[in-house]
Amino acid sequence: MVYTLDKKNLKDNAQPDLKPKKFVVWLFVVSSLIMFGGWTSYYIVFSAAKGKGHGLVLPDLFMYSTAVLLLSSLFLFLASRALKGGDISRQRIFLFVTLALGLVFGYLQVSAWGSMVRTGAFFSNNNAAISMIYVVSGVHLLHIVAGLCLVLSALVGSYLNISFERRKFRMDIAGIFWHFIDILWIYLYVFLLLNS
Amino acid sequence: MSTISLHDTHNHDGHDDHGHHKETFFTKYVFSQDHKMIAKQFLITGIIMAVIAMGLSILFRIQLAWPDKNFPLLETFLGKWAEGGRIKPDFFLALVTIHGTIMVFFVLTAGLSGTFSNLLIPLQLGVRDMASPFLNMLSYWFFFLACVIMMSSFFIQTGPASAGWTVYPPLSALPTAISGSGLGMTLWLISMVLFVASSLMGGINYVSTVLNMRTKGMDLWKMPLTIWAFLLTAILGILSFPVLVAGVVLLVFDRSFGTSFYLSDIVMGTQVLPNEGGSPILWQHLFWFLGHPEVYIVIMPAMGLSSEIMSVNSRKPIFGYHAMVYSLIGITILSFIVWGHHMFVTGMNPLLGGVFMITTLIIAVPSAVKTFNWLATLWRGNIRFTPGMLFAIGMVSFFISGGLTGIFLGNASLDINLHDTYFVVAHFHLVMGSAAIFGMLAGVYHWFPKMFGRMMNPKLGYLHFWLTFIAAYLVFFPLHFLGLDGVPRRYYAFTEFEFMHKWLTVNVFVTWSAILGALAQVAFLWNFFSSIFVGKRAPQNPWEANTLEWTTPVERLHGNWPGEIPTVYRWPYDYSKPGAEEDFIPQTVPFSQTMSSNMPHDFEGNADAERIQREWEEHEAAAAKSRLD
Repeated sequence: MVYTLDKKNLKDNAQPDLKPKKFVVWLFVVSSLIMFGGWTSYYIVFSAAKGKGHGLVLPDLFMYSTAVLLLSSLFLFLASRALKGGDISRQRIFLFVTLALGLVFGYLQVSAWGSMVRTGAFFSNNNAAISMIYVVSGVHLLHIVAGLCLVLSALVGSYLNISFERRKFRMDIAGIFWHFIDILWIYLYVFLLLNS
Repeated sequence: MSTISLHDTHNHDGHDDHGHHKETFFTKYVFSQDHKMIAKQFLITGIIMAVIAMGLSILFRIQLAWPDKNFPLLETFLGKWAEGGRIKPDFFLALVTIHGTIMVFFVLTAGLSGTFSNLLIPLQLGVRDMASPFLNMLSYWFFFLACVIMMSSFFIQTGPASAGWTVYPPLSALPTAISGSGLGMTLWLISMVLFVASSLMGGINYVSTVLNMRTKGMDLWKMPLTIWAFLLTAILGILSFPVLVAGVVLLVFDRSFGTSFYLSDIVMGTQVLPNEGGSPILWQHLFWFLGHPEVYIVIMPAMGLSSEIMSVNSRKPIFGYHAMVYSLIGITILSFIVWGHHMFVTGMNPLLGGVFMITTLIIAVPSAVKTFNWLATLWRGNIRFTPGMLFAIGMVSFFISGGLTGIFLGNASLDINLHDTYFVVAHFHLVMGSAAIFGMLAGVYHWFPKMFGRMMNPKLGYLHFWLTFIAAYLVFFPLHFLGLDGVPRRYYAFTEFEFMHKWLTVNVFVTWSAILGALAQVAFLWNFFSSIFVGKRAPQNPWEANTLEWTTPVERLHGNWPGEIPTVYRWPYDYSKPGAEEDFIPQTVPFSQTMSSNMPHDFEGNADAERIQREWEEHEAAAAKSRLD
């Protein structure tokens, strides 16, 4: 025998429990930050012990990619504002722009590695600080891939027939994560600039 | 989301059950998103892994006791790893490594937190399920995959990882160093990355559920100590496991991509390796930044479970509830700044060693607070010696006797002598091994009725407890003396060193004790698995406990409560309250129903409630007086 709980009893459940899910994303952000903290601490201890950092002039491409990523964050913010204002078509356009900028960022990062390789700063290197540039930017790029999936899910959500709360939830999740990886990259870039 | 289908437990019609049932075998038992089923999956996987790891320990104990004897049976089972019936040195190292890895991570982290956080967080807080049931399911399956990959290393030619459970480079970083540094090490690293992913998914879920989804009235200070322990354990995991991943990723690159994060100046045979500039000490920093919090990830859930069980079975409020919570918080914070005490002998600056020594010794304060509170909870209680209670008391016993040697090892000057000896082995097997496993077993005995709707056999439980308790002390206590004499850990044959000869007889004794301890687990395994099917049916509230999980129906249902989720009015430890009719008052009973036992501090400064109580008491006193007149 099966029965379903009546409406009254489900009151405690009727509110879509999205707040705890959003909190899950924040906690993921924390743990991810700790992981990068582990690597930058490695870098600090390493360079303090050896008296040297990576010793490179970082490729200009990293500067351009940083600008592109900042811009993408701005467009994601605009998309979120458009959704709050009820303007779905503008939200879609901004999300498309964010996606495109994210892809450009990925392309620029890979090109930056290419230019590092051309100058002889290989990943497999006797200076672990140089290898570390690849590690942090590489794992950051994996985060970008995950972030693009979330932006895509917000975009798909704008086409699906779902409630405003659900759409906003997808948008918020994408926002939390994307702005986080934006700030994370700025931290990593500035860290690498300061500790050369 | 908005409809939950339930079994009607009252009109249970066996035959047309399946037709209406939405759950299939796969969604109910395999890819279940129900926290209670996931808890059972974690528990049973954890038990299987524990049995395997215990078996491995018996194998290396046999080698330690009789290094010169041949056991042809071993060759039958282990083939070339025990040629001529003697375990090979390489395989001995693999046994020690995998025993440690499985016990620390797969049994006492996933098996313990995975089981009881999943089971109790929703049930004790009044929640229908976790924040993200899907992520929760994924957490189990990542764990399962990690187990399979770890075990698969027994089926490859070069054998499992052999660099110790801490996998220090360069031994772990050079695939050709020893046979266990090859494919076995790679599998170990893959398995651990999956394991960490699983722990993080679990931990993130637990924290989000505890902080966001508690039922009405359940403020943080009304949570049972179990939940406090699980919450803080999960926070520890979220903050420390990512660092292990960071370290493991670098180790993978060193092994397979030619980087030099941990490698420098290495000569293999006659060949000089090109790696330069790395430092193996940096691995130790990254590893122990996780590794030390990890031992608290292991012990804190056991502490929470024991606190709850001891209060229920002493029929007394837990002594010093707030102090218990603050000491857990203290342990959580301190655990992040003590990792250096594992590295006193790495050439660490003595000043830095002193700092780590002080932080380490400070942890004794919250630990002692907890210990004294447990003892004070027992003091003059109406103790019910259920098997769960015995194991909880056993947990306290091991925590004390193992904790005392922690004070020795935390001192840098003493640790330099004791480092890497059997003293360390004895210390952590008591304080985090035995204590945590006893906490876990206490939890299994206590919450088995909630998990399976049946009771375990108490007689077998007592047999299991006494044999395990005695065997564990007989195994680990003598090891202290080996350590004080300077006998190093991980040595293959005591016959090779003159000064270790005299300890051979002790090793024989320890091995027989270990075999006794292992046999005792048969009583548990039989009891556990047979009680699932033929145990006595459990009543609603078998231990007469106050917490919310005992208000749910005995029959499992996804959503936990058939009707509305109960509201919480009081803390979980109102046992033997003076003036109350019974010796326990569940959290769901409002103060208006217990006027005769309310205390002024129950109302937390609510003036209206205090006034009503006062009026009631005056009225009662007047009535009593008029009766007397």
